Amino acid sequence: MNDNPLIHIQNISKVYEMGGEQVFALRDISLDIYPNEYVALMGPSGSGKSTLMNVLGCLDTPSTGIYTFKGLDVNEMSDNDLAEIRNREIGFVFQTFNLLPRATAVKNIELPLIYSGVSSSERKSRAIKVLQDVGLGERLTHKPNELSGGQRQRVAVARALVTNPSIILADEPTGNLDTKTGIEIMKLFRDLWLKGNTVILVTHEEDVARYAQRIIRIRDGKVESDEKNTVSQYSQGTE
Amino acid sequence: MNILESILQAFESVRSNTLRTILTLLSISIGIFSIIGAGSAVATLDSAVNTQLVAMGENSFMIRRTPTINIGNSWRKYRNRKDITYAQAKEFKNNIESTDLISISDETDGYTAKVGNLSTDPDISLIGCDENFFTIKNMQIIEGRSFSAQEVLSATSTAIIGNDIVLKLFNGRKAIGEYLTLKNQQFLIVGILKSQGSMFGKSLDNQIMIPISTFMRYHTDEWGSSVDITGQAYSKQSFLQTVDESIGTMRSLRNVKPWEDNSFEIETNETISNQFASFTGYLSMFGIASGIISLLAAGVGIMNIMLVSVKERTREIGIRKAIGAKKNWILFQFIIEAITLCQLGGIIGIAFGVIAANGLSTLINAETQIPLFWVLFSVGTCTLMGLIFGSYPAWKAACLDPIEALRYE
Repeated sequence: MNDNPLIHIQNISKVYEMGGEQVFALRDISLDIYPNEYVALMGPSGSGKSTLMNVLGCLDTPSTGIYTFKGLDVNEMSDNDLAEIRNREIGFVFQTFNLLPRATAVKNIELPLIYSGVSSSERKSRAIKVLQDVGLGERLTHKPNELSGGQRQRVAVARALVTNPSIILADEPTGNLDTKTGIEIMKLFRDLWLKGNTVILVTHEEDVARYAQRIIRIRDGKVESDEKNTVSQYSQGTE
Repeated sequence: MNILESILQAFESVRSNTLRTILTLLSISIGIFSIIGAGSAVATLDSAVNTQLVAMGENSFMIRRTPTINIGNSWRKYRNRKDITYAQAKEFKNNIESTDLISISDETDGYTAKVGNLSTDPDISLIGCDENFFTIKNMQIIEGRSFSAQEVLSATSTAIIGNDIVLKLFNGRKAIGEYLTLKNQQFLIVGILKSQGSMFGKSLDNQIMIPISTFMRYHTDEWGSSVDITGQAYSKQSFLQTVDESIGTMRSLRNVKPWEDNSFEIETNETISNQFASFTGYLSMFGIASGIISLLAAGVGIMNIMLVSVKERTREIGIRKAIGAKKNWILFQFIIEAITLCQLGGIIGIAFGVIAANGLSTLINAETQIPLFWVLFSVGTCTLMGLIFGSYPAWKAACLDPIEALRYE
């Protein structure tokens, strides 16, 4: 394993002000994530795992504590710096897919490249390439409403991959899918991990978490446990 | 590239909310329409007037009780002016030394001319004038002759008629030497005027000239019998001198005290065109003012539609921010969208304004003028509007918190 962590979090807390009362969403969390890890963040709803994901995904900054991403201090970053980190380093996959409804699959995938200033022709060829990689090469010009749930999520994964990010951050990626399609998507993530990607998976389902190589359990804003996955579900995927 | 995306997005939002967007764009169109319409109308009128003025004769001037073009409340100023009587005008004509080309005339409308069973519509202008009138006004007599000084002196029943009347009453037959009837009085036709076309939709050939003496005796209308004096200087050099002499003579004839203003108007091509300019000035001011008011209303509409659009697309904004759109990109996207919407409305307004101007120029037989300045002004105004009224919604969009926005249903 690489010595330099991709993500280094030390004693971070996130406090919300609610009706004059301070609510701790995260309390004093520390963890490191290294390149090519496959991590599942687990916890019941209200545990703070979504807040942790937002912080890890640079959508939000912690109230206190240290967060360095590839050695860069995230706390010091402006909104625009955070946007740039999200654009180049993080690929988001959401439970509800979050595709632009009126854009075709290719256009959706091109979007992050637009924001990083990639030329039109390169955008298109890269978008088509990743779409083929996730197995949707024949659905290039379909709009989200012309695709099945599984296909939409594949488009979302392709969008996350197209910038070659350091981390793929998936928030309940199977939550809106049936079991069979969910398994297909989890296989896709496993393949990505096997190809050398770093994947962080946020879920409340044990079955889904078991695909990961390391499981971090969150409860009441604290890390409850952080251990290697012993029940290696991911090996089943190769059957 | 990003601009293109934003412009396409604007068209997309027109398409997805057709009625709402079109209603808002309509108010922009109306605003731009009135600006362009007024601009084109003014340009068209200007060119028509300038053409006609040249036709009026180079060094001529006119003395009247009130100005030809009168705008606003200034009628109070002229209300108490005494008529320029025929006697006064004749005295003026005798006293002027620097030119002999002085004509006395008066005009009244609504006459019907008859020959046998045929009669015209009651829309003929009857002009009483003298032998100098045609020279000064640059009117050519293509058939027959002008009045003689003797005819004017003795108030004969002779007439010189315009082309429209020839066409209506004689229909190919010879008119010279024939008689026509005006208000039960018979007139011998001695001359026919060369056709002059029309001005502001009114035919200049639908008129009959009779000697001013005859006119004064039988045809002065109840609105008063103030006559017009038209004069022409011999040359450009003597023009100002002749005008000065005319003013002096007229003041003394009308007993104007040295400290008082003229109790009459003296008009030259220049003063008429100035009067006209002030008229067209009012017209363009009115057009621009009403345009700006409706554009303000439209601006509020644009802001509203953009706010709704931002609200509806909160989630989209969240997605864009999550995958790396910076604040300025979002700001830019929505401002471009607002500008595009405004331009869309503006283009429709420009098109209709130009069409309306074409209609006007056809109506008054003038050459169509498309006021390029006003077109550019409109495009600029639309851009500015999009910028002003799109900024707040765009700013709201740019400042959305990505987490909140993504959660928005």
